[in-house]
Amino acid sequence: MLDLKPLSIEWLKKSGIIKHHINSFNSFIRRKFPQIVREHDNIQTGTGYLIKFGEIKEPIFKEDYVDFGALKVYKPLVIEADGSKRKLYPLEARIRNLNYFGPITLEIGVYKNDEELDYGEVTIGMMPVMVRSELCNLYGLSYDDFIRLKEDPFDPGGYFIVNGSERVLIIIEDLTQNRIMLEREEKGMKVVEIAKIFSKRGGFRAQIKVIRDKDGILYCAFPSIPGGVPLIILMKALGLEKDKDIYDAIILREDPEIANEILINLETFGDIKTKDEAMDYISRKIAPGQIKEFRLKRTEHAIDKYLLPHLGVNPEDRLKKAKFLGRMALKVIEFGLGRRLEDDKDHYLNKRLRLAEDLLEDVFRVAFYKFVQDMKYQLDRLIHRGKRISVKVIARSDILTERVRHALATGTWVGGRTGVSQLLDRTCFMSTMSHLRRVVSPLSRSQPNFEARDLHGTHWGRICTTETPEGPNCGLVKNLALGCEITTEVSEEKVEKVLKDLGVISIRK
Amino acid sequence: MILIRLEQKQIIGIKFNIMSPETIRKMAVVKIVTPETYDEDGYPVDGGLMDRRLGTVTPGLRCKTCGGKFGECPGHFGVIELARPVIHIGYAKYIAKILKVICRNCSRVRLTKEERSKFLERLKKYKGSILLFEIFDEIIKTVKDRKTCPHCNAVQYEIKFENPYNYVEINPEEQDKRKRERKLTPIDIRERLEKIPDDDLIFLGLDENNRPEWMVLTALPVPPVTVRPSIILETGERSEDDLTHKLVDIVRINKKLMDALEAGAPQPIIEDLWDLLQYHVATYINNEISGMPPAKHRSGRPLKTLAQRLKGKEGRFRGNLSGKRVNYSARTVISPDPNLSLNEVGVPLEVAKELTVPVRVTMFNKEFLKQLIRNGPHKYPGANYIERPDGVRINLARVKNLDEVADKLDIGWVVHRHLMDGDIVLFNRQPSLHRMSMMAHIVKVLPGRTFRLNLTVCPPYNADFDGDEMNLHVPQTEEARAEARILMLVQTQILSPRFGGPIIGCIHDHISGSYLLTKRGTKISREELIDLLYIAGILEDVYNKLGDKKEFTGKEVFSLFLPDDINIKFKSKLCKSYGCEKCLEENCPHDAFVVIRNGKLIRGVIDEKAIGAFAGEVVDIIAKKHGLEAARKFLDSYTKFIIAFLMRRGFTTGIDDEDLPQEAIERIEEVLQESIKKVKEVIKMYEEGLLEPLPGRSLEETLEMKIMQILSEARDTSGRIANEYLEKQRKENHARIMAITGARGSLLNITQMAACLGQQSVRGERVKRGFINRVLSHFKKGDLGAKARGFVASSYKKGLHPVEYFFHAAGGREGLVDTAIRTSQSGYMQRRLINALQDLKVEYDGTVRDARGVIVQFKYGDDGIDPSRSDWGKTLDVKKIIEGIIGEKRER
Repeated sequence: MLDLKPLSIEWLKKSGIIKHHINSFNSFIRRKFPQIVREHDNIQTGTGYLIKFGEIKEPIFKEDYVDFGALKVYKPLVIEADGSKRKLYPLEARIRNLNYFGPITLEIGVYKNDEELDYGEVTIGMMPVMVRSELCNLYGLSYDDFIRLKEDPFDPGGYFIVNGSERVLIIIEDLTQNRIMLEREEKGMKVVEIAKIFSKRGGFRAQIKVIRDKDGILYCAFPSIPGGVPLIILMKALGLEKDKDIYDAIILREDPEIANEILINLETFGDIKTKDEAMDYISRKIAPGQIKEFRLKRTEHAIDKYLLPHLGVNPEDRLKKAKFLGRMALKVIEFGLGRRLEDDKDHYLNKRLRLAEDLLEDVFRVAFYKFVQDMKYQLDRLIHRGKRISVKVIARSDILTERVRHALATGTWVGGRTGVSQLLDRTCFMSTMSHLRRVVSPLSRSQPNFEARDLHGTHWGRICTTETPEGPNCGLVKNLALGCEITTEVSEEKVEKVLKDLGVISIRK
Repeated sequence: MILIRLEQKQIIGIKFNIMSPETIRKMAVVKIVTPETYDEDGYPVDGGLMDRRLGTVTPGLRCKTCGGKFGECPGHFGVIELARPVIHIGYAKYIAKILKVICRNCSRVRLTKEERSKFLERLKKYKGSILLFEIFDEIIKTVKDRKTCPHCNAVQYEIKFENPYNYVEINPEEQDKRKRERKLTPIDIRERLEKIPDDDLIFLGLDENNRPEWMVLTALPVPPVTVRPSIILETGERSEDDLTHKLVDIVRINKKLMDALEAGAPQPIIEDLWDLLQYHVATYINNEISGMPPAKHRSGRPLKTLAQRLKGKEGRFRGNLSGKRVNYSARTVISPDPNLSLNEVGVPLEVAKELTVPVRVTMFNKEFLKQLIRNGPHKYPGANYIERPDGVRINLARVKNLDEVADKLDIGWVVHRHLMDGDIVLFNRQPSLHRMSMMAHIVKVLPGRTFRLNLTVCPPYNADFDGDEMNLHVPQTEEARAEARILMLVQTQILSPRFGGPIIGCIHDHISGSYLLTKRGTKISREELIDLLYIAGILEDVYNKLGDKKEFTGKEVFSLFLPDDINIKFKSKLCKSYGCEKCLEENCPHDAFVVIRNGKLIRGVIDEKAIGAFAGEVVDIIAKKHGLEAARKFLDSYTKFIIAFLMRRGFTTGIDDEDLPQEAIERIEEVLQESIKKVKEVIKMYEEGLLEPLPGRSLEETLEMKIMQILSEARDTSGRIANEYLEKQRKENHARIMAITGARGSLLNITQMAACLGQQSVRGERVKRGFINRVLSHFKKGDLGAKARGFVASSYKKGLHPVEYFFHAAGGREGLVDTAIRTSQSGYMQRRLINALQDLKVEYDGTVRDARGVIVQFKYGDDGIDPSRSDWGKTLDVKKIIEGIIGEKRER
């Protein structure tokens, strides 16, 4: 029998057992973080001023910092009371109860009517650095270097140091975003089929449902609409005015049964014919009792921002959304007719693991947004008081830093989740490793949730069959299998390009 | 000696009334007017919420009102004079109901004279019971749609109650749409309620001590400082209690409202402030009102106000009254001690020195207690405290000269002495599911840090020694000690009230040992026997029975422990594993039928069925015929004996207990392969449409059922083969012995170790969930075969294939999840059952009644039999009685 053990050993030696955390954080620094900064560029204040950042390029890793051009992220530093700066290593951070964070600097310019009023490089906040990541001062050091610095060469890293305590960002297991899933809901007597999708764009997450009730009528529910809107009406409001367009958007191939279903829907709502009528109908549901103008404005806002935001948040994207809703409708109809099976929510295909990269992205987005808001406010204040405009005064670094630090320190994340960051278990080496490889499900501990707790076939090679706690958390708290690899996010643009090259046509007709 | 004259009074009942504003004002020692708590120097502000007249929170200061010190002063109420009346949120719905029933003009209840007298009669009948409110609801139903008042003929309007404390009166006549709905202010409501005459109150469920207008608050009582103490954080800052915060809000708004009223501010502002005041007072009383955002602390956490203090598991009722933390208790890890009697408990020395028993000094124990005092709290046995008749407690740890104090001791004093051997304590293991989870034990103080208990008493506690901890409580009064000793001592609980048999008995090695002792062929020499009998502690009692014999059979030895009048017959546990078609009873060739005649074991092996914890016939009959003390002695002596016996013989198990000869392995392999093939055939039949569905089941269900049946049979057959070969082994197979005697394990365990694990299942079905149309990607889609859905053909000894291991893990996971879910579900069910049943009692007339006197059963259990005294649940076991008699006669 071939002895495969050396193979596994070499594989494990290659990057260690904690590489998933480190890869995730590296990906965050390289990709997500500059993206967030770029998204908030070009800030217009109400008073006619413009705040613009310098050009942000591909990262170059230098010795003490990462160079994105106008944006720089430094490796962890400690600034003493007398102002002197020194490289901070994890040991000192732990002992002195410091934060193992590195300063972030950004070149910002303030303009009015194309005239530059001030431009400078300012510190906009501090970036938490994962120990042993590319941004860590210990990255790439040899065994002897570790000994010389009095650091533990066998310490796996993969955690942050906040106020002197080591904090792990626990891997959270979630349902896949932006994927249509079919589910059957029983409301007492009525059984209803639903196609659900958690649409995420940037920091915003919305749940959109297409519901087929027992009479076969399709409804669509999305945030800001209490109850649901009949799907046909919504599609008309999105631009598919003609019945034929709607029919085409839903049906895929000739099929009398499905055609019948669509026709039932079209007939039921036949009295609403034009796009405007449809918009009006919806607007009455969104803001009843208000003036028509106001209503319509809110409706437009709701449709653009809250309906399928992952497809876009502008009026141009409405057609895309209508076609997508058509797809959802087809699925739900097939499900209702018994041609499709309910989606298995525990199949790992339908799950995504959220590591440091995703979690930090959420926090940073909100924090950066607040930072930008504050900058606008400070700018307005300066103008009001007639003082000189200085970039250094506008950009306050504590806002970003404090928000991120507070989230990491307490474990309370945006969106209300608690227990996201935990104190690293240092009872023994094994417990530390186990802690760093833990996967937590967001489902409630008090519900039985039998199916979610079961060992699922797709766990093979990914999740450990045996390591799970006894008691109320049984099966909800899991651990990664040894051979499990977690990929980091791949940029969508690259995939889109490949698809285009292969001949896929965009929907914009 | 001081004689105290006690006047005995009897409490008839408790009544809760609504407090009138007059009472509130009379009760109060301070009027709270300022929202400030402390001033700059850190002193409480006068007229503020922390006024010293309300009580004292700091150990140093004395209360201004009553002069009591920190622990003494219970605190005193204050009052807030509300600028405008406010609805008491707790009574909101009740007020709504009242408004619907009374006339808006004359405020009388809208009943006609006849209706009045009719209802009066009914109300008088049910006086004092909770059913009064049902009558009130009926009155409401009768009255609510009446358009006019029977007394003053005024027209009535509909009153709508809007959550959480708004009342709206709808005037259907009014033309102006906006003026139709008129909001009733608390002042309006109070006026209407005030006008209700005392006579009408009875229809509303109230009386003159509970006037309805008092439900609209004008004076808010301020709880004393002791009810809402402040805490000092580590940083040195003082953090106020949530209630104080809320009261501060109330005082602040109240002040604003008063100022606004005086200054003559415009209506809307007054209304706004009034509304805000109402909100604050409402959330002060209950912060979890539906329809209202809870008042939050600065940090965002909702405040815990009065209602929250009382509700739910951690609240006053469930968390401080029905269940409390107590003194004189202890908790540690438990460990086994076979040398203790079953009703003893081994108490660590450290625990005994900390837990004390109060003893009153009499002329009989004075000297003894004096010696204990001289030993002091650190030398065992000693004492920790002394109580003088005047109530002064002396802490012996602080006394310099113990002898001095010891000499002062006199009759009538109380000494709190260390726990000593012979004391009675309550011993308990959680979860306390039945009454045997808490039993009285006799203390034996031992060195070490664990509680020790006799092994036979493990089953009722459901205790094992893998780290379990148990609790100990020391009864403090003579009455409590007596009750524990008479009613709760372990031996009184030997027979379970659930099924009428013993719940305390031999476990594990006791049973293996008994089998080895009493099987045919076991012989013990006289010398060895005497040794063992001495260890058992019964040597003196039975020496005479030994006669001159030099050698004894196992059965004869067992008989030494039995009293002479026992006559029973039963099948031993061994019997089942042989599966004979017809039981030959006394002539059973396997020696599996037990016959005991006149206290002598004539036939059969002693195992779980004879002396085990849940089935032991022998234990049962001794307990019932000779009493509980005899049963205890039997168990104590027999267990010591049998353990010593087993130790000398030796007993172990190892992997070779699962060794099978090649022939067996081949046969098993054949059976398994056959079955896997059969499964394939059934699947083929199913695919070709030849499978006939069972009645009431779908085709797929039938397929699955058949497959599971085939595979389950496969496992059982392979198990039987293994058992066959293991039985024939030359050396006795200890694993098998443990299984068939009921000591530990079952044939299934042995099957899984030696032959084949069998089909793994999740929620009754073969393993299903995983990839699409298959569980694991190792198999092809649509493969329904045995191995593809979780049939493990290997045994533990052979080792599992990784795929088999995965299936086994899936099945095993279900077990763990199940246990975790089950414990919480069953806990809730148990709680509900207990709450419903706990005050049922058997009265002297034989009926079972609840606390009100309502009969639940006319005879307990409809037969009047105490299950613990019944014969395994049957009232009378005629067969056994006959055997008892015939057995005797047969001997003659």
